[in-house]
Amino acid sequence: MVESNAKSETGRQPVPVGVLGQFDHPDALKRAAAALRDAGFRNWDVHSPYPIHGVERAMGMRPSRLPWLVLLAGLTGIGLALALQIWTNAIDYPINISGKPLFSIPAFVPITFELMVLLAAFAAFGGALVLNLLPQFGHPVFCSRRFVDSGRTGFFISIEAVDPKFDADQLPALLSSLGATHTEVLFDLPGRESYPGWLKIGLLSVCIVAAVPPLLVAAYRAAPKSEPRIHIIQDMDFQEKYKAQTVSPLFADGRSARPDVEGVVALGMAEEDEHLYRGFLDGKPAEAFPMPVTMPMMQTGRELFNVYCSPCHGRVGEGGVTGIISARAVKRQEGTWTMPLSLHADSVVDQPVGQLFETITAGRRTMPSYSAQISAADRWAIVAYIRALQRSRHATIDDVPEEIRSNLK
Amino acid sequence: MTNPQHTHGPSPQTAQWRLPSGARTLGWGCAAVGVVLLALAAWLGNAAGDGWRGFLRSYLVAWCFWASISLGGLFFTAVQHTTRAGWSVSVRRLAELCGAVMPVLAVLFLPLLVPVLMGGDGLYPWVAPEAVAASDLLQHKSPWLNTTWFGARAVVYLAVWVWLGRLFLVGSVRQDADGDVGRTIAFERFSPLALILLALTTTFASFDWIMSLEPTWYSTIFGVYFFSGAAVAILSAMILFAVGLRAAGVLRDAITVEHDHDLGKLLFAFTVFWGYIAFSQYLLIWYGNIPEETEYYLHRAHGIWGGWSLALIIGHLVLPMVGLLSRHVKRRPLLLAFWAVWLLVMHWADLAWLIWPSAGANAVWAVPVEAACMFGVGSLWLAGWLHWASHCALAPLADPRLPESLRFENSY
Repeated sequence: MVESNAKSETGRQPVPVGVLGQFDHPDALKRAAAALRDAGFRNWDVHSPYPIHGVERAMGMRPSRLPWLVLLAGLTGIGLALALQIWTNAIDYPINISGKPLFSIPAFVPITFELMVLLAAFAAFGGALVLNLLPQFGHPVFCSRRFVDSGRTGFFISIEAVDPKFDADQLPALLSSLGATHTEVLFDLPGRESYPGWLKIGLLSVCIVAAVPPLLVAAYRAAPKSEPRIHIIQDMDFQEKYKAQTVSPLFADGRSARPDVEGVVALGMAEEDEHLYRGFLDGKPAEAFPMPVTMPMMQTGRELFNVYCSPCHGRVGEGGVTGIISARAVKRQEGTWTMPLSLHADSVVDQPVGQLFETITAGRRTMPSYSAQISAADRWAIVAYIRALQRSRHATIDDVPEEIRSNLK
Repeated sequence: MTNPQHTHGPSPQTAQWRLPSGARTLGWGCAAVGVVLLALAAWLGNAAGDGWRGFLRSYLVAWCFWASISLGGLFFTAVQHTTRAGWSVSVRRLAELCGAVMPVLAVLFLPLLVPVLMGGDGLYPWVAPEAVAASDLLQHKSPWLNTTWFGARAVVYLAVWVWLGRLFLVGSVRQDADGDVGRTIAFERFSPLALILLALTTTFASFDWIMSLEPTWYSTIFGVYFFSGAAVAILSAMILFAVGLRAAGVLRDAITVEHDHDLGKLLFAFTVFWGYIAFSQYLLIWYGNIPEETEYYLHRAHGIWGGWSLALIIGHLVLPMVGLLSRHVKRRPLLLAFWAVWLLVMHWADLAWLIWPSAGANAVWAVPVEAACMFGVGSLWLAGWLHWASHCALAPLADPRLPESLRFENSY
């Protein structure tokens, strides 16, 4: 029972492009598919309104290569992400982030994981399209009126004319013998397999039109302009102000950053009291504190000593390796490290308080100045605490209050 | 797929879907062995010189291990009903039976609960009044971590689990007799609620029973972590039951390699899920680097526990992930059973890793106590399983989706 679906209004002669057989049950479809598989057909397919379990085995399809593509893409993602992170974070621009090692696998895992998933998903999506020969704009089965009308409810097998074993005369009978309830040879006009001319021209036009805006932008950016260019995203790039180290035509010296006016002192910066601010009295280091020494002052001194001084001089001022900075330098064998002085050395104990203050204020040898971090009053508090530390090493029984002396025995 | 013409699968020989008559005797034997082993474990634990503490540490690991299989069974059953799954019907009874063992576990929880209620066993530091008095944090947590409220919560958790376990099994077995489709519909409506109940009770139970071993440490993801282990455990157990029962001649035409394949896929997925959750917990604590949080990993990063942690990463994540990746492995019952056993061992190692360092990391290794507890609780658990399994068929005979499950095939 062969129907012709020839359309000959153009005068060209239709040619067979395939054979279609319809089956009334998925099991019959599977049996026929198995027979065609065994007969060695290549370019054929089954069509069903829903997935039929086991039909891929009946058709002799081999397991898909898609999993391998996905695996490859996933491994590529892992490699790319790790390489990028190791290169940027640990090699090209090493940066210490909250003390973590430069090469920190835990920190690299989230991005590695995400890139692996991203590339694997791309491979799965793109690979599924490519392996299924999609997108496909036409198929011989659409030459059948019956398939177009009932393709959503029926079960079909189609064999394309490109199959090496294709034979338009024999195949309908073969399909009938395999249980097909209806068979037909599919005819189409030659040349219809290529894309129609309007589609080619349309796509080309779209591409040309789409290229116009970027070309205009490129031409605008490349051409010389006397006016400022259009700057779509400002990002605070242009502001009505001078930046540091730039030229200004407003001043004779051409500097945009202005020096202080001669003879002017900023509020609170006069620091005229030599004793309080420099530790000197009549040109010599002061022997006395510029203020009365009190208990709160001593406690402030201890707190600040522990913050600023103890990292090098140690918590009790012994110097050497008792400070953590010093201990680390020795551990790392830093060649240029100079051992911090013990504050209990005679040369320090014998210094007047003004001399100690001057050392904290101006620095000494490799010790830097602390005048920027610590106010003058607080520097004096530290000096008081250092005096207390020194005294603790040279205390006698007479320094202990009368009433608790017996506790020491 | 109710097309009557489409039933080309084998007509099931449901007589083979029951345990042989010897199973009941085997169950009583298991129960006797379990009692003896637990008595031995208690004696050994005391003899080792650490008092009850030495025994309870191992007992908690063993109890959590077997309870996680039963909990996983409840989760699995509820998820299958919620998603109206067709493929899993012929293996679902195995999970229902695992969930139905909950009454046994509830009784076995008493050795853990009674010492707490009696005021101190050394296992949970927050039970001791002097420890609470010495710590501001424990005082702050005492409205939640106190013995009365702890006991009340334990009763609630166990009651919910016992109830759900009975409910899922009894309803399903009654359907075997009356074939009422309404039961399936009722399960579908109820199961989302059951999942919410299970999620809440599992989360807080793991906080109470495992996390409070180190009461000043906290991790909000801890419940999910415990759940991920339970999911791995139930899937491994179901694979072993499915493969083992078929080897014994039971359920041969009910469970096919297609079901093995799907259980294997889920096992693979939850193995990776475990790694994902474990790393999520680790990454935040590692990055935050706050002493009260890092303390937990500090205990597990040095000495024997450092090696143990590394072994978990490799043995609980890397190896099974690679091993279970291929479909060829998942479709070979013996290979799949190997990975199921492997992952159960790893699940035990995971629980020991959670519990042992918190409950005295430097204690002398009490391998015999640990083994006696694991096999003791396990024998009693298996006795319970066999008891309920010998009173019913091992697959839901009259489930409306059973034909779909029997016909089920994986595509490529």
